[in-house]
Formats: sequence, C-alpha cells, structure tokens
Amino acid sequence: MSSLSLYSVQAVLILDNKGDRIHAKYYQSPHVAEDARKGLMQNVKRQKEFEKRLFQKTHKQDSEIMVFEDRLVFYREYLDVTLCLIGSMDENEIVLQQAFTAFKDSLDLILNSGIDKRNIQEHYDMVLLAIDETVDNGIILETDPATIASRVTKPPTNEPQMSLDLDKGLLGAWGFAKSKLQERLQQGM
Amino acid sequence: MSTHTYKKFENAESGELPDRMTIYQDCMSEFNESPINSKRCRLLISRLLRLLAQGETFPESEATALFFSISKLFQHQNDSLRQAVYLAIKELSGISQDVLMATSSIMKDIQNGSELVKPNAIRSLTAVLDESTAFSAERLLKSALVSRHPSISSAALCTSYNLLPIAEVTVKRFANETQEAVVDLKSFPHKNLVGEYYPNSTFITQYHALGLLYQLKKNDKMALLKMVRQFSNNNTLKNQLAKIELVKLVNELINKDSQLFVDFQSLLMEWLSNKHESVQLETAKLITNFATHNSRLISSELFASAVTTLQSLLTVPRVSAKFAALRILNRISMISPEKIVVCNPELESLINDPNRNISTYAITTLLKTGTAKNITSLISTITKFIHDVSDDFKIIIIDAVRTLSLNFPNEWKTILNFLIDVLKNGEGGFKFKNNIVEALIDMVTFVPQAKEMALENLCDFIEDCEFNEILARILHLLGKEGPSTSNPSLYVRHIYNRVVLENAIIRSAAVVSLSKFALTKNDPSLSDSIISLLRRIANDKDDEVRDRATIALKFIESAKKDTSSEAQTLLQSNYSFDFNALESKLNTYISSNTDSFKTPFDVTSIRKLTEGDIKALDLKRKQDKFTKGEFETSVESTPGMIDDNLISKRADSSFAGPSAHDHQQDLLATKYAEDLMSIEQIKEFGPLVNSSQIVALTESEAEFVVRGVKHLFANNVVFQFNITNTLTDTALDNVTVTCTPEVEPSELEELFTIPIDRLLPSAEAACYVAFKKTEDMVMESFLTNLMFTTKEVNPETNEPFEGDEGFQDEYDIDSIFLNAGDYIKSSFVGDFTKAFDELPNEEVAVYNIKENISLQELVDRLVVNTSCLPLENTQYAPSDSNSHTVKLFGQSASKGTKIALIVKLIKTSKGIAIKAQGRAEDATLCADLVNGLM
Repeated sequence: MSSLSLYSVQAVLILDNKGDRIHAKYYQSPHVAEDARKGLMQNVKRQKEFEKRLFQKTHKQDSEIMVFEDRLVFYREYLDVTLCLIGSMDENEIVLQQAFTAFKDSLDLILNSGIDKRNIQEHYDMVLLAIDETVDNGIILETDPATIASRVTKPPTNEPQMSLDLDKGLLGAWGFAKSKLQERLQQGM
Repeated sequence: MSTHTYKKFENAESGELPDRMTIYQDCMSEFNESPINSKRCRLLISRLLRLLAQGETFPESEATALFFSISKLFQHQNDSLRQAVYLAIKELSGISQDVLMATSSIMKDIQNGSELVKPNAIRSLTAVLDESTAFSAERLLKSALVSRHPSISSAALCTSYNLLPIAEVTVKRFANETQEAVVDLKSFPHKNLVGEYYPNSTFITQYHALGLLYQLKKNDKMALLKMVRQFSNNNTLKNQLAKIELVKLVNELINKDSQLFVDFQSLLMEWLSNKHESVQLETAKLITNFATHNSRLISSELFASAVTTLQSLLTVPRVSAKFAALRILNRISMISPEKIVVCNPELESLINDPNRNISTYAITTLLKTGTAKNITSLISTITKFIHDVSDDFKIIIIDAVRTLSLNFPNEWKTILNFLIDVLKNGEGGFKFKNNIVEALIDMVTFVPQAKEMALENLCDFIEDCEFNEILARILHLLGKEGPSTSNPSLYVRHIYNRVVLENAIIRSAAVVSLSKFALTKNDPSLSDSIISLLRRIANDKDDEVRDRATIALKFIESAKKDTSSEAQTLLQSNYSFDFNALESKLNTYISSNTDSFKTPFDVTSIRKLTEGDIKALDLKRKQDKFTKGEFETSVESTPGMIDDNLISKRADSSFAGPSAHDHQQDLLATKYAEDLMSIEQIKEFGPLVNSSQIVALTESEAEFVVRGVKHLFANNVVFQFNITNTLTDTALDNVTVTCTPEVEPSELEELFTIPIDRLLPSAEAACYVAFKKTEDMVMESFLTNLMFTTKEVNPETNEPFEGDEGFQDEYDIDSIFLNAGDYIKSSFVGDFTKAFDELPNEEVAVYNIKENISLQELVDRLVVNTSCLPLENTQYAPSDSNSHTVKLFGQSASKGTKIALIVKLIKTSKGIAIKAQGRAEDATLCADLVNGLM
C-alpha cells in the first residue's frame, strides 16, 4: 500500500480492565480482492489474542504511544477501560495522535459523566457513532472533537406526543408552542 | 416472544449482554412492528452491534433477515434512529445477502434527507454497492462532492475513494470536482445547528480530496508535479493532514526520480519550519530517508536543518512528537551517528523521561552516537540508572553496549567494567543475565585484550549462578579459551569446583571443559592433575558424567602417545561444519534412505569452517544486525505475528545499510554451490574452494537479467550465469554464454558449457561454463555474450508453437572478471594492527578514481572486490569528512594464508585518491590483490 493512502488507521479498540474487548473494529480497505487483503488479523481468535498481548503492554504503563508488533499504538488507560488506536509504522505519528485525541475527546464530550466501562456500555450507540464519525473504513474522517460530537445524535426520547388538546383552548396551544420554541432555541444555542 | 426472554433483556440494561438468539428474536419482532418505537429500536440496534463487535457472527440467513428488518426502519423519519440504522447496515452488509436492496432507500436519503444523516447515508454506499451497480451512484456522489457542507463533501470523497477499486471509470469522472474540493475551504453553516456542540471546521475535506486526487492521477508524473506546485503556495492548504499528504507526495516523486530533488529543496526548507509539528516531522522524515540513498544530492545544510528540526521536537511537551522524532533520530544513528551528535544534550535529558518508550529510544540512540571520545561518559551516565529500570529495558541497554564493544574494541576496559558491574550487582531474570553473558562472550571472542579479565570475572560469576544454561555456556567457553591463556590453572580450579558442587548437567559440561586443559602447551604439569581429577570423576554417580570422564581419559592417553592422532582433534577441535549445509545434507540423507542407512553419511562434501571463518561470519552477522535496525522489530515484537506488511517493510526498508543483504547472499551462495555439486561433470573437479559474491552482469530492468557467480576449484574455474527471461511471450532455447578471454593467449582452457535447454517466460535457470586452470592464481577478464534461439510461446499451453524454428540471436552482457578477490575469503582477527605488522610481504599501490561517487560507495565496492572483512568498524565512511581509512582482513581460499589491507581514501574535487597498503604471507597474492583493487 502506498504511503499516500488515506487508509491510515488499522484498528480502534476499547478494552476493559481485564483486557477483554468492549469494542473492537479492525479496518480493511473495502473492495480489495480477498487474497490481496493482507495481514491485519481477519480471524476473531487472533484478534483477541492480539488484544490480550497488547493489554499486557499497556496496562499500568502510562506511555500513550508505543510500537507494538510492528504497529504504532496510541492508548489511554482510564479507571476501568483502555482506549486504543492502531496504525501502521510508517504513518505520521502526530496525525494518528490527532485522530486518537479526536476519538478520545469526542467520547469525553458525549459521555457526560466521564469515560468508564459502564458509561460506554450504556451509551454504546453514541460511542459507536462517534467512532464512525472519526474513522471511516480506516480513513481519518474528522479530527475536531466538537465536530464529531455535533454529529452524534442522542437516542430518541419517547415518542413525542404532538396531538394538541383543543379543549384547553388557544392559550394552551400558545403555551405549548412557546415551550416547544424555547426548547428548540435552547438546543440551538 | 415469551415474557421470559423479554424480562431478561430488560434487566440487561448495562453490563452483560443477552445471548445471540435473544437479541436476534427481539430485533426481528421489534423492527417489524408498527408503529415503530424509535427508542427501543435504537437500543436494540446498539445491542446487536455490541454483539457483532464482540466477535459474534450470524449465519447468513439470519443476517439477511436482520438486514431486511432493519431496512424497514427507513420508514421512520427520526434522524437519531436513522444514524443507528446506517451503522447496522454497514456492519451487516458484510455477512448478509442481497444488500443491494437497501440502495434505493439510501439514495432517497442522500437526496432528501436532513443534513445530519446525509453523510451517514453517503458513507454507507461503500458497503452496499458492488462492481455492477457502483455507476448508479455517480450523479448523487458528484452533487454531494460539490456540496458546501464539509461533512457531506468529505463523505462523498471518502466513499469515492473506497469505491475506487471497483468503479475506477466512474470515479475518474469526478477529477475536476475533486480538484476544486482541494482548494475549496468549506466551513460549517452557522444555521441549523443540531445538538449542543459547535463544530469547528478543520478543512479536513482538503485531505480527503487530495488523497483521492492522487489516486486518480498517480500515473501521471506531470499532473502530480503540477499538484505540488499548485497546492504548495499561498497557504492553499489549511488542513495539516492535507499538508502532510502533500509532503508525502513530494516524497513519492523524488523516490521515483531523484533528480527532482533539487527543485523541491527550497520548498522542503520552508516546510521544516512549518507551524505544524506534524509537517516538520514528515519533512524531516523525508529528508533523512532520502539522504540514506542519495547522500550526494542532498546539501549538508538541508540535512543539518532537518536534524535541528528533530532536535527541537525533542523538547516539545507532546509525547507523540518526541517519540516520532526519536524514532527518526534512532534510525539515522544506525547509519550516520556523527550527524546527530548535536542532539546529545536533549537525548541525555530524555533518558529519565517518565515515558519508558521514550527513554528506551533515547538511550539506544545515544549509545549509537558513541564515539571513542564520549564512550566513557556515556557509560557512566548509564551506570547511574541501569539498576532502576525494568528488565526488558536493561536488555536493550546491554545489547546496545554490546554493539559498542564490537565497534570500539579499544574502549574495552570501560565497557567490560560496566558489564561486570551489572552482572554482579544487577537484579534480573534469566534473559537479562544471559544477555550480559553473551555480551561478555562476544568480548572474549572478538576483543582479545579483554579476554583474560572477562574470563576471570565469568569464573567468579559461575560460583553463584542459578541458571544451568548460562553455566553450561560459560563452562564451554572456559574450555575453549582457557587453555591458551597465561594462567590456565586458575580456570581449572573454578571448573573443578563446579564438578564438586553442581548437578549432573553442569558436571558433564565441566568434564568436557576440563579435558581440554589436558593438552595445554603453556603448562605441561597441568596434564597430570587433570588426569587425576578425571579419574576421580570417573566414579561419579551419574552415568553421563562417568561416561564423559572415561572417554576424556582415553582421548588424553592416546593424544599423549601420538600428537597427530585423531584424539587430539577430538579434544580440541579447531573447525566445525557449516551448519546450514550440514542440516540440509542430513535431511536429504534421512529422507532418501534406500538401504536402511548402510551407506555412511558423507561429511566430506560439507564446508568446514575454521575458527577464524566462524568468527568472521559471526561478526559480519552482528554488524548486519546493527545496520538493519532490527532494534524496533526484535525488541518490541513478539514472534509469530509477522505478516506481509512486515516483510514488505523489510524489503523496502529505507534504512538498510550497505551490507544488509550479505547474509542472504551467503545463504544463496551455499545454495548455488549445492546445485553445482549435483552436476556430474563438475563433481569431478573435487571440493569447491570458494564461491564469489553474486555480480550483476546486466541492468536489473533488462530483457534478460544475467547474474554471475564464480566458483573456484583446485584446478578448475566454473562460471555460473543465472539468466532470467523477463519477456512474457518468448521462450529461449539452447541458451549458452560464450566467454572470450580479453587477452590472448589465455591461461584458462575452456572445457565445456552446460547450456539451458529451454528458458520459459519469466523463468530463471543457470548456465555453467567450466575452465581448466593451473594451480596458481589466474586472473583474467572475459567478454561474454548470451547466445540463444528465440521461440514464440503459445499463451495457452505455455509451450513454444510446434514447428517454430526460431531465430538465432545474441545479447551483449557485461564482462566477467576473475580477480584476486575471488581467491580470498573474509576472515577475522582481533588485533588488526598487530596482525598487519606481523605479516612479511608488503605491497603498495595508488589509484585515482575519477568517477563521481561517494566515499561510502567506494568502500562498499572495495569490500566486495577484495572479499575481505572490514574491521574496527571501518566499513562506514563518515559523511562529514573527505578522508577515510578502511581496514580489511582476509585469507587465501585455497591455502589459508593471511592477508591484511589498509586502504586510505581521500576525496578531492578531482576525484578520490586511494592508497592501498597490503601485507600478506603470500607475496604474489598480496601483489595481485593490491594491484587489482579496482
């Protein structure tokens, strides 16, 4: 693969405090013939073994960046989870670091009460969307955490009851409209 | 659905996930319900995706059913649900069938959906389209590509990029739009904000557009040059990723055509001081990479500024920048350490960096910059902290110190003291101790001055060493080296102590070791004591120990009677076999067993290596390891996970030193020799004396690639021509190489030629030409010509057409020289100066090279031409100086006589002046070698 390729991220992982995966996504260039797809661990068993080995290196070692099995690994360990981003050895370290920071900080933004295992599992849909907005098939899509976060929707609240009770009269309708408008405005800010 | 499963799944709000079947059933029922409950559906999709991310998978039928149920959710207009649907579509499309069915819903979204979901919809196209349908998205992608909204435009660019392998024709039509997208600075619209975050435009669309544009134009050099010109000025590119992409583009261009470099020099200089660290880094990487291959094209100021940039990156707070800069410096340090000595203060301050990876890189880099001057201070710096770091870190340091000891044998005292200190006082496991012992063994082997002191300390060490493997190795070493020292009895005492105190494994190792002292020449009285010791051991309670002692006694007895007996060689062997050849021979012997092993195994055909040969090979390998930069891979990777990525990286590793491929060539030469010996006519010539390095006789891009190897026998010479037919439609029949001596009359008499009967397209085969020669050294050059009959090949059968008579043709290849170097094998000597002074015959010659080549290239050529081993780290010419001295050592392949060369090189504006001073035991060899240097 040429070094000019946009496919710079090989995998995004979220591991728990035992090295088991909470989320794992290994990227392959899409639409490349099967036999040409080399390397990055297509089978789940090998992936999981890799993650275990990786975890042994990252656990309680706060070094953020390292070379592991001929890949560049960026990671950050939180209380009970570790976030990792893996790229090729020839990639620009700072670029990958930015992608990793984008991923990490956008999670920080969307998970209100901080990054931990329970929070990630509970808001898995949002975490997934954030990752999807950061990396697409291995291409770094965005590096600004706020932009990423702005594109992640919250889960829908229960179906809004839009039917108006006309018995309450025009005042009621006005009040309803006003509250809706305020809500929109606040959201807009 | 039963209430039971329903409950179970409600409880599983977080943490544990319900099983695969439950999730499947829940999804199937909920997604098909009407009206759609968007909250529950998104929750279910989230669970489904979590399950998939765990590595679970669904059978194709279930996956397809899920896929279709999910595509029903398109009816619901909630954006929040829609985003989740797209995620699910992307994940499921890989494992389900008929994913194309979702295309129309997705396309509807791309046209009419909200700005929020449009990018998601566009990006999901990658997953559902295939070769036959990709074109249908053309109009949509094109209009999305020109959208003012950065996310939409980026999504379209990335999708086009992803679709490139299957829809190149379609995507090529976007070339103009892509070009515009590179220069267009798209920012987020201020209206219609959803959610609470305010997006900042990073203009990353430029990066995606540039990446795509490169793919579209990559075969058009002029277009690429234009891209660089157009995008490099006036801050056209705001996004730093895009800028890096541009640096990489320049890198690509200059690697294909190094002459272009000059044009980019000022641009690169500018980029080195770019405000983005990442751009500085990429540029520095480019310059230093390029310098390893084309040092002549690069000005020293530019290289120096690249180093300065890296130096400043070492002091920034950001870890990744420091790490990256260190990685580059570390690679430079393997080739031209003198260039980065300026960074030493920064490197020293990083030794104590809290980040272990950084400190490791810093220390190894620092150690490589070691010169005879600063070694002492470096070592004392390390001594301060080595005891405080973890084991694997210590191992890295020890390895680096070990390399130092080989490269600077004169500094042995400091290094030895350091090693002994860590061996005695360091806490650590087997691997750590083993590494130190190995380093000491290296010193004993390659640095004769350090031998006795190192051995004495190893003796102390075995007094309380808990590792059997290490003990056995040291005992073996003592047996090998001890008898030739000034005070052998000292070692006998230590070894005998082991016999008294240790377990059976160590005892048997000690017995073998002891027996070697029996024939010590320095101290004849020792012999009797050894015999009495061995007699005592012969009553040991362990079988193996007893056996070994008894055999040793027998050997000593017969060796004493007759000094030329076999027992002598068995006690003190001074050669061993070429293990690779031995192994493969033994394998064939065992597998081709026809007479239940009645014919004994024939060892005579296997190359025997004397002590000196082994040392030479060893040292070469170690130096190779050093230049190859295996540090990164060997230290930080565990074996077994090597994939093609790694291999390709090795292959085009831009930092491979001059001798990186030597070892591979060694193996290849062994293989060639084996092929040779399987030919009856050649077998009659007797044992092979020497094989030369492989020399290229054509350009590597020629129609027929020819490489020659010269094989020497006692009274014969065989030229081997390896011919590769690179044509795709022509076979060559009856391929021969004619060799015409340049000077008549020739001293060589041509005996026979073994032609290649048929060389099919893209095949490689060998043709041999054999000569008879006198026993003396014969040096001659031959004009060579490739002769063959071409025949067109039927592409279906891959055979030539019946009845095709073909054309006689010939092809000029370079001359092949039989020179003095071919009679020489590289050899090792510990103290070069002493060895040089002791040799009797001297010869001096002066050359002047007019070609414009660097000193390093000339040194490489010298090493190849003379087949000698460069010693004392002189194989690397300093790039900042105009003179260099190479010390070469070798021995005659047939007679084993020694030869040493000191070659002084001085580079001036007119060329390179060479003064070669050779000394050898054999006067003719010396004269021939020195006079035939170039």
